[in-house]
Amino acid sequence: MNSLFDILLERPLPDEWLQGLLFTSFTLHMVFVLLTLGTAILSVYYFIDAQWGGKPNELRLDKRILKTFMAHKSLAVVLGVAPLLLIQVGFSVPFFTGVNLLAPFWMLLIVFLSVAFLSFDVLAHKLYVHRYLHLASGTIALVSLLAVPALFVAILVTAENSDQWMTIIAHGYRLSGPPARHWLFRYLHVLGAALVFGAAFHYFFSTKDETEKRSLLKWIVAGILLQIILGITLYSSLLEKPDYITNASLLAGVLGAALLLWIIYLSMDKKNTLNIKTVPPLLMLILVPMLLTRQFIQNKKFMPFEKQLQANAQAYQKKAQPYNREALDKYQSDMNIVYDNGETIYVRSCAFCHGEKADGNGAEAKNLAIPPEDISAVRTTRRYLHTILAGGVPGSAMPYFTVFDKYKLDGLIDYLDKKYHVLSLPEPIPASVSDAALRQAQKIYNETCSQCHGMDGRGSAPSKGFQPPPPDFTMYSLSPKRAFDVITNGYIGTVMSPFSTLPEEVRWGLVKIINDKRRQ
Amino acid sequence: MQFPIFQTPYLGNGMTIALDAVPHVIISHGLAIGAITLIVISEYFGFRKSSREWEAFAKEFLRFTIIITTGLGAITGVGIWLITSALSPRGIGSLLRIFFWPWFAEWIAFTLEVIVILIYYFTWDTWTGEKKKQHIYLGASYIVFSLSSAFLITGILGFMLTPDGWPWDKSFWSAFFNPSFLPQLLLRVSMAFALGAIFSVAFLFATRRESAFRKEALRFFGKVSSISFSATGIFSWWYFTVVPSAFKTHAIFSVLTSRFSQHPEIFYGINAAGIFMLFLFALFGLRGAVFLSRILIIPVLLVSMSFVMEFERVREFIRGPYLLPGYMYANQVLLKEVPLLDKAGMLKNSYWYNMTTHGPDPINQGAYLFAENCSMCHTIGGVNDIKERVKGRTEDGIFVILGHTQDMVPFMPPFSGTDQERRIMAGFLHQLANGKIILGASSRFAPLRGGEK
Repeated sequence: MNSLFDILLERPLPDEWLQGLLFTSFTLHMVFVLLTLGTAILSVYYFIDAQWGGKPNELRLDKRILKTFMAHKSLAVVLGVAPLLLIQVGFSVPFFTGVNLLAPFWMLLIVFLSVAFLSFDVLAHKLYVHRYLHLASGTIALVSLLAVPALFVAILVTAENSDQWMTIIAHGYRLSGPPARHWLFRYLHVLGAALVFGAAFHYFFSTKDETEKRSLLKWIVAGILLQIILGITLYSSLLEKPDYITNASLLAGVLGAALLLWIIYLSMDKKNTLNIKTVPPLLMLILVPMLLTRQFIQNKKFMPFEKQLQANAQAYQKKAQPYNREALDKYQSDMNIVYDNGETIYVRSCAFCHGEKADGNGAEAKNLAIPPEDISAVRTTRRYLHTILAGGVPGSAMPYFTVFDKYKLDGLIDYLDKKYHVLSLPEPIPASVSDAALRQAQKIYNETCSQCHGMDGRGSAPSKGFQPPPPDFTMYSLSPKRAFDVITNGYIGTVMSPFSTLPEEVRWGLVKIINDKRRQ
Repeated sequence: MQFPIFQTPYLGNGMTIALDAVPHVIISHGLAIGAITLIVISEYFGFRKSSREWEAFAKEFLRFTIIITTGLGAITGVGIWLITSALSPRGIGSLLRIFFWPWFAEWIAFTLEVIVILIYYFTWDTWTGEKKKQHIYLGASYIVFSLSSAFLITGILGFMLTPDGWPWDKSFWSAFFNPSFLPQLLLRVSMAFALGAIFSVAFLFATRRESAFRKEALRFFGKVSSISFSATGIFSWWYFTVVPSAFKTHAIFSVLTSRFSQHPEIFYGINAAGIFMLFLFALFGLRGAVFLSRILIIPVLLVSMSFVMEFERVREFIRGPYLLPGYMYANQVLLKEVPLLDKAGMLKNSYWYNMTTHGPDPINQGAYLFAENCSMCHTIGGVNDIKERVKGRTEDGIFVILGHTQDMVPFMPPFSGTDQERRIMAGFLHQLANGKIILGASSRFAPLRGGEK
């Protein structure tokens, strides 16, 4: 952690603003997250209740509940953009690291959300599917949807606890031990809140009669009681002792919850329905301090780390900045190089091995055990050269160049031909060879050379497996001077060995024999 | 270096993003902008002509569209962000810093867009009679918000290809209103209407309609098709004139890849056939030829989606060695970091390498160097497999090639690290290509087993 550093670009807004916006937008997002989750859970519950309780169609509460799903989930998603943006900008390193450590799960979010959203919305709009099919797709959708907060909570737990990163890696990129316990209770606490919020929303907006209201009221009360129990376990699972301000805001939330319970108790006592003017604001009065508590705990983890990350970023920036000028100059010159012509491609992609004069003496030639070919001496056909360019030479450094399309490789071939006549037939040999020498050369070719090169010059069967294999003399030759050189000195790094002990005239004879094999 | 490494197994990073981003582009352009605009126009026709058929078509098409856009469209859109957060944190982290305010404004535009479309959808049956006009205006206001979303995102996308003076002066406005901003915005909007018209015709044929209405509607969408197809063509041409030639020259390769790059006639042939089919479809629509249009609709849907895929692939690919031109290479190494890392070394400076491996094992070192330098584009054993790429090369050959990646292949970033590290990675790749190293966890490039077959 000591050497990690923040993203090297300026932070776009002061930290206090960022914190404020993060809290506000996150609260808005969470309201709709809770409504979405609550709606999903309740819709499945009331579907089962209606189907197996034999309710007539017009009394189907689950339908009315599910109808609101589209609005809740759409708003939950869009409102989530801002908090995600702000946490990624404000706490880049811890957040992205959390995401990365749990990357496969994080990316599965897309699958879970798509499955859940599509299934619920299709069910809401086509309510007459067979009940078992409805139950099956509703269950799959619900399970997928419930996985989403589990993943987000896991990411946050990971991001907040940078001291646990190595443990997480050691456990195969999974949470374990105290952080895992904390994750579980934190996740369940979200679901409990979702029950309360979802039930309260549908109590006011989806119910038609007293029975339905009473039924949803049970969910609200049960939800609050569950939250108290889960809250205690969550508090005891905190990885660090909370400070006074955290405890104070937590207390405010707990008092709000107690007040809500009391109001519900009073209304039940008087057989009144809950008042829409008191309950939703009160719910917000519970949610806000609870989310503040969350933020305080999170900041306590994030802030000191963030300070160190920013200091490290400054130090690293100081080290890298001196190279900025050089880097930008290179960028500018690179942007002016267009690989759309043979010359540029040769100079940039080939010359570092084959040399600016195409004589095989590029800057890197010294690093290669098999020297790059002297291209200026190559005499071949367009097709054969294209095959080499497109396929490379196995067993050598020469790679394939299909990264350039055919037009570009043709341009490169044209350039090489114009400059070095690589598409010509080999020149006549510059020495005279007597018939006797030629006969001896032919004998040597037949007995020795053909072992690899084949009688016809196309390469013998065993030589096909050589790395690199011999060239096909019917389509590929070298200038007589270069061919003489290879026969004399061999081709270093390949099977081709030197034949310098042969009389010079015989070697010229071999050049003639080989170059006479050219058919095209 | 700054973040731990993760790569999607087999698919690699680019393909993972593409699988999510292409459906998003098709839905966000074709449905969220194109189709919904045409739905509002259809509603208006229904109102003006007192046509129940137009009204019913608009309403039913909206129901389909809103389920897909708020479900798949929004999720795949956020999905691009989610995926890049995991796979390319330094890239997306930097983009968010540069474009924080447009991104924040996008949040507001996006939220308003969703609120308006939900009201529009839920009030369809209640805002009738006197209030119908207001309902149509509401629909029109949605179009404004959806276009402003497109406006904000195009600035960011354009920057990733043509950053203008930003690398030098870090000026926000030249970054946002970069040279490819306007042509790309116009291109995307016309693409949206083109897709929208095609989707509308598909919906027209997929649902039960009166035959007179079907013909009338087909004629209208035929008009929209011919105008938007032509506009898409013109703006594509404009867009590619502002793209730097150094990038543009890789366009054919980006579509054909190494597998087909030696047959460029495929590129021209397929594109020409696709364009011909689209205009034939527009012509049949104009003529109100129901039977012929019905035959063409499925191929046309496929062709139009393939064009979207092709465009996005070209746009993403050709900026080649850069993730953010002038600032960051595709492997998330900053341009100015390369000379630093060449001197100071990649391994020595990496927190994650030093924390997760113990002792100088060349296989782990090689794997880590590969992960940092190459894994953004190359997998081991999957798409764009590095084993295939270096197969047949000698170890010294790989060493030399690694020193010239960007010279040799202009869309590859340079190797960052000392010569010693380059030698280690060359050895690693050579052994890997010859089957002497088997990867343990391929997505994390470690732990590895070496020296055995």
